[in-house]
Amino acid sequence: MSGNGIRIEGLRKRYGSGDTAVDALKGVDMQVAPGEVVGLIGPSGSGKSTLLKCLGAVIDPSAGRMTLGDELIYDEGWRVRDLRALRRDRIGFVFQAPYLIPFLDVTDNVALLPMLAGVPNEEARSRALELLSALDVQHRARAMPTELSGGEQQRVAIARGLVNRPPVILADEPTAPLDSERAMAVIRILNEMAQRYDTAIIVVTHDEKIIPTFKRIYHIRDGVTHEEAGAGRGVE
Amino acid sequence: MKRPPLQRRTLALIAVLVPLLVLLAYVALRSGPLAPVAVTETRVESRAIRPALFGIGTVETRYTYRIGPTFPGRLARLDVHVGDHVVAGQVLGEMDPVDLDDRIRAQEAALRRADAALLEAQARQSYAAAQEARYAQLFAARSTSEEILATKRQELRIADAALAAAREERTRVGADRDALVSQRANLKLVAPGDGLVTLREADPGTTIVAGEAVVEVIDPASLWINVRFDQVSASGLAAGLPARIVLRSRSNESLEGRVLRIEPTADAVTEEMLAKVVFAGVPAPLPPLGELAEVTIDLSALPAAPVIPNAAVQRQGKQVGVWQIRNGRPEFVPVKLGRSGLDGDVQVIDGLVEGARIIVYSEKALGPRSRIRIVERIAGTSR
Amino acid sequence: MISLAGRDILHSWGKFVFTGFGLGLLIGVTLVMAGVYRGMVDDAKALLDNSGADLWVVQQDTLGPYAEPSSLNDDLYRTILALPGVAEAANVTYLTMQVRLDERDVRSMIVGIVPGPTRGAPGWPPYLVAGRQITRGHYEAVADVATGFQLGDRIGIRRNQYTVVGLTRRMVSSGGDPMVFIPLKDAQEAQFLKDNDAIWQSRRRTATNPAFDRAGVPGLLDAVLDSQSSNNFVNAVLVRLDAGAEPDAIGAAIRRWQRLTVYTRPQMEQILVGKLIATSAKQIGMFLVILAVVSAAIVAFIIYTLTMDKIREIAVLKLIGTRNRTIAAMILQQAIALGVIGFAVGKITATYAAPLFPKYVLLMPQDSVAGFLAVLAICALASLIAIRMALRVDPAAAIGG
Repeated sequence: MSGNGIRIEGLRKRYGSGDTAVDALKGVDMQVAPGEVVGLIGPSGSGKSTLLKCLGAVIDPSAGRMTLGDELIYDEGWRVRDLRALRRDRIGFVFQAPYLIPFLDVTDNVALLPMLAGVPNEEARSRALELLSALDVQHRARAMPTELSGGEQQRVAIARGLVNRPPVILADEPTAPLDSERAMAVIRILNEMAQRYDTAIIVVTHDEKIIPTFKRIYHIRDGVTHEEAGAGRGVE
Repeated sequence: MKRPPLQRRTLALIAVLVPLLVLLAYVALRSGPLAPVAVTETRVESRAIRPALFGIGTVETRYTYRIGPTFPGRLARLDVHVGDHVVAGQVLGEMDPVDLDDRIRAQEAALRRADAALLEAQARQSYAAAQEARYAQLFAARSTSEEILATKRQELRIADAALAAAREERTRVGADRDALVSQRANLKLVAPGDGLVTLREADPGTTIVAGEAVVEVIDPASLWINVRFDQVSASGLAAGLPARIVLRSRSNESLEGRVLRIEPTADAVTEEMLAKVVFAGVPAPLPPLGELAEVTIDLSALPAAPVIPNAAVQRQGKQVGVWQIRNGRPEFVPVKLGRSGLDGDVQVIDGLVEGARIIVYSEKALGPRSRIRIVERIAGTSR
Repeated sequence: MISLAGRDILHSWGKFVFTGFGLGLLIGVTLVMAGVYRGMVDDAKALLDNSGADLWVVQQDTLGPYAEPSSLNDDLYRTILALPGVAEAANVTYLTMQVRLDERDVRSMIVGIVPGPTRGAPGWPPYLVAGRQITRGHYEAVADVATGFQLGDRIGIRRNQYTVVGLTRRMVSSGGDPMVFIPLKDAQEAQFLKDNDAIWQSRRRTATNPAFDRAGVPGLLDAVLDSQSSNNFVNAVLVRLDAGAEPDAIGAAIRRWQRLTVYTRPQMEQILVGKLIATSAKQIGMFLVILAVVSAAIVAFIIYTLTMDKIREIAVLKLIGTRNRTIAAMILQQAIALGVIGFAVGKITATYAAPLFPKYVLLMPQDSVAGFLAVLAICALASLIAIRMALRVDPAAAIGG
């Protein structure tokens, strides 16, 4: 299902209209293959957030194409009908703060997505447990989010991002609140997961510690991306 | 679905919500109009009841002497005061005679003059009789004329008549004097019987019209109570029945008495029967006249019959009856009631048998569909 | 699918239950308010039920005997009793006054009833909770328990002492004053003979009137005084009809030939409920409306606050693809759960608080049901604001920036 990972071509986004119009994105091209983890780096106001929102199918781009796996999402003004279901089933989100649902326990936080998609509770939970085991937090499966450490929360968040086996995961500053050791652990997990589940992962960050781990990095500045090879050291 | 992992919280929530819901259900079913009505029950007993009558009246006397003059006049003296005991014939006071004594003296003089006139008439008559007898003998001897004899006879008859007139005149004058003496005596106020002065209406010097009472004397031995009984509850009232009398000023003391008579006329306005109840003995101290008295008359006990408390008697529509408990539910049974006692017992003539369970008190009015809850006593009624 | 609302309530049940309690007290006040109105109507009906009459005969052109003073001669009932269709007719007097017990006095409605050997006359208390009915024609009383009197108490009404021989319940005037039943003749006297001082003064006044104290007419003054201290008036005649008799026809006959005013049961109810307590009812109605609005505002505010606290989670939920319907359902369910807890607490509070009120508070099951539905409707309406806000949350807000 993952096919081609995610690919965008000539993506533009204009806010407002007429004289006050602002072009946040001015033709972005990007391609991430399944199993690949790429970094997306840019200063504030560079259009980084707008790009992330377009990638997350939260806002519509003004122009350009976007293909997820082998499905066309946007094409010059056209878009698929149900963005909500798309977000639910085809895109995984990992946030800066974990944003777990405080009134659901760890398992249900992860299992919520398949449940929303209509997967029976039992199956959704077993899928969640499987992922939690993979992320080594299965021992906290019954805990409430507030009872977890920061690293555990982030791992649960990653598990939630992965639970529907999306072709792409968008990670927005996933290491920001963590010290370097934990940050490295998160990046390692992301890499592992990308490999294991054949998922394309885009990590938006400005964390100097982790930038060297990416093999490929997209810099964004003034609404335009520049691709460059990263240090690609990976994580030991 | 697996058991929710929130066991402790779930239990806590259940611990709060379940009692809440149980309480709600309890409240919804056990209070308000849906709640069963608390009632007390009793069994119909066969018992003799003593009906009694209750009336109130005032203390009065059988004999009240209101003594006053027969002529208008001024009161000269009054020797008795309220509370004095008097005996029959005692002079209590006297009216001012004014000129009565002088008139008696004049009549006595007239009497003496009549006596003198009588003597004169007797003298004339005896002289006329002697003259007539002498001329009769002379005529027999033919020594006088028949005419002269006839004159003498006439003179005698005139003298006879004059004598009779003088005699009658004396009688008249005597009677006149006697009348004045009687009148003089009538000015005295005399007690007609033994008794107690209860009223002194006037003091010496007061002018009194004829018929107005100056003093009132009662006979304490003849005290009685004028009792009024409501006509609807006076059945069985008869002369001779024993009565218990409670005077208002001595409310914790019951005096013995009996019904003397039932008045032949009742009070049409107040719808009451009147009866006189006498004390068995004269109470001491004497109750003041007009004091209120409560009189209870015990009638003879009735033969034993099923009896229920009057609080159990209810009304459903046009029927009078009681609520009988059958299979834990109330059922209205019309009854026919008989006599009742003052303590609240009523005889049941028809409708209930001895031993039936009936409802006496209920928290609210019962209906055929009421649910009941039998309790020892209704809440809120104990001291 | 799991219940998001349920999980949220489980998670923060303390907040929910306590908010529910607070709301419940408010709902309780609302229910009691409705109960006060029902209680007033019921007081009026109890007054009519207790009199047990089919017709009320009162002074011509008055709304007596409850809403207006009315005065009739006490022998009128005989004429009425003679009418065909009339089963029973009984005199009755009503007088609201203070009743003394030792140092205390209680405001009561004194009802003068025709005593009798057994029960029967209209106007009698229909049931007792203790003691017995009046058997003596004088100086006995049956009191409502609300007076606080007990069996055997000696109570003072005007110049006389009465022994409490029975207790009854829910016998109140339309104003809610408890009733004290005494024999009719005593009640007539109580209406007229105020107190000893007044009698003395009245006698003195009469005695100084030269018209009544004439020389040459002994006994005139006594006769006048006697006539002054007796009272042959009653307030109404209660009439019970034969089965099948037509109340309106008999009422019309009395109206026409006796020159009196007659009310039937529905007319009497109309007078008591429609005239006597109309303004109070409107007052309570206003309060009910205000309370309902306040309740709605509070529920709306609570739900709004609860939703505001979750705005971030809602954004995440929307971002990860939760349908609007699911989110709206979550908020609605929470509002309704709050309403249900509040109603339960309110109903319980109202039930236990009702007997503490000085006047009768009647909680009707249908009022409770209506109240429940109203609470649900109010909660649903109140949650609309929160739902609207939740639906406007931008899922993009969950993504930093």
